[in-house]
Amino acid sequence: MVKTADKIEEEIRAIFSGDTPWVTIVWDDPVNLQTYVVYVFMELFGYSKARATELMLKVHNEGKAIVSTGSREEMEHDVARLHEYGLWATLQRGDQL
Amino acid sequence: MSATEGFKRHGDHSYVAQFAESEKEVLLNLCEQIIELLAERTDHGHDDPLAAMVGITSHDSPPEDEVLHRLLPNAYADQVDASEFRRYTEATLRQKKQAHAISMRIHLKTAEDGTVNLDHDNANAWLGAINDIRLALGVRLKVASNSQDELELLAPDDPLRGVYAVYTWLGWLQETLLDALIDDAVDDEESQLGSS
Repeated sequence: MVKTADKIEEEIRAIFSGDTPWVTIVWDDPVNLQTYVVYVFMELFGYSKARATELMLKVHNEGKAIVSTGSREEMEHDVARLHEYGLWATLQRGDQL
Repeated sequence: MSATEGFKRHGDHSYVAQFAESEKEVLLNLCEQIIELLAERTDHGHDDPLAAMVGITSHDSPPEDEVLHRLLPNAYADQVDASEFRRYTEATLRQKKQAHAISMRIHLKTAEDGTVNLDHDNANAWLGAINDIRLALGVRLKVASNSQDELELLAPDDPLRGVYAVYTWLGWLQETLLDALIDDAVDDEESQLGSS
């Protein structure tokens, strides 16, 4: 029980200190070309072709992938840029996955 | 519909394609449709001109039109968060998408002998615009539920057959530009590795 209380306390502290990581998720879409998704990941996040390809395949095979993590503001910025390029993206709290 | 050979890389950060007159017209027409579609979503009777000026819109629910909904999707699964985010960001997103299509239209309008020469930023605008057009056509073609086989077997008199032809041609065109851009980016990656 003590452990649980500690964990809750830790989570509350994280929430109030703004440390809770948020994540940006890209969802599979039947229209976007695989090459396009790879390029957008390279261009927006500065990922290497290998890393971008790995993420694209995760989206394709598993239906979604976390493409970036950070503060809520940073993730809102990432989602806005992904939407600008037509990728289907959402953000959410990392501890509510 | 493939008089052009698509985009080719010319040295660093330069991408060139030559379009036949008919291809140019198809592309211009599609750009204009996207620009108009996004314009339909502008705010009607905004109460607060200052809010409008800083990009806050009166829209807090997603567009009813299926195509607009795909172009301007929700950022959160949670409806309250999604509405809030939309109010503050949708106008900017619309403007950016329109800017991509307008950039593509200008290049096409000013193309001499149908030749388009793009730098890196122009190429990104083209990719975004082509993608928005494909997303729009994809919604109309119901690519989420219709398989590729089904779409390829559309009857000759089915109006969607022409739409599908344009959709696949745009995919091919986008791919040629992507190949050129990625080729260039990989060269940059390698030269950075070499210099570090």
